[in-house]
Amino acid sequence: MTNAPRRPIATALMRHAAGVMPSPEWGAAMQNELEAIEDDRVALNWAIGCVIAGYKERLNAMLQTRYFRSALAFLIVLLALREFFAPLLIFAYRMKYLGLAHFLGLRTAGDDYRRLIPIMDATPSWVILLWAAAGVLYLVALWQMLRRTGASYMLFFLGCVLDLAGVLAIRSIEASTGVTTEPIPMVRLAGFLLTFSVAFVLWRMTSRRMPAVN
Amino acid sequence: MGRKLIHSRQTDRLLAVMLKEPLVWRHGYTLMKQTGLQSGTLYPILVRLCDQGLLEAEWREAENSGKPPRHVYRLTSAGLAFAREQIVPVRRKPDALQGAKA
Repeated sequence: MTNAPRRPIATALMRHAAGVMPSPEWGAAMQNELEAIEDDRVALNWAIGCVIAGYKERLNAMLQTRYFRSALAFLIVLLALREFFAPLLIFAYRMKYLGLAHFLGLRTAGDDYRRLIPIMDATPSWVILLWAAAGVLYLVALWQMLRRTGASYMLFFLGCVLDLAGVLAIRSIEASTGVTTEPIPMVRLAGFLLTFSVAFVLWRMTSRRMPAVN
Repeated sequence: MGRKLIHSRQTDRLLAVMLKEPLVWRHGYTLMKQTGLQSGTLYPILVRLCDQGLLEAEWREAENSGKPPRHVYRLTSAGLAFAREQIVPVRRKPDALQGAKA
């Protein structure tokens, strides 16, 4: 690229960056700095960096809104309930609370808990504990998020790992029994993507926290 | 204000540069050259430190007429105390501030 188009591109990018930046003052600060950079190549790099900075700040501002935090909290509660679902169904089946098992079975693929009996019989207690622990960790992470403390994403991520370990364990049981808990693999994949996306968002929210002055 | 500090290597690098001459006002572009940080990294840190009261920013008329005013930054007294507290222990570790230009 010759020098000629670099400056107009940098100027256009910079205008965009200033518009994206949540604070107009900071947008203007970045934009005016461009005028002081003589070298067009450096100016272009500067402008590209400012676009990135603008989107970072825009994203961080969005993550701190009450609506976004409420939606995220709701999502985490749903994910926690999902983790408690299988332990509760297995508990209901094993303790002969068949009414509850039937009720929960209506929420499974196939609408009948009896389809899952071979898996529920074969599932070891430690897998059930893994899921329950993942659910508890999600709820504790939610509590930490609401209190705006830094540990939320670590707890949530640990919950994701436990969840994943539980699913991997159940896969071998599914293979041995010939019964699948989730007939559509994409649904399971989408669930994991959603869970890890929440972990990422929690991490971003935490990394934006302000340093403390003691 | 009692929350635990999360400070990155890049923030340390910026604070270390500003600590060398704490009373000097610096432009964003100057800070980029002195710290070696890209603008995409530098500005979010500047915003964060200003929000927290560790840096102060003000507009200065450009030296060349016809150019727009520029933002300049320097440590506040709280920022100076904070930087001394954070950076001095880090300096004892070799390579902790590697990349910060003199």
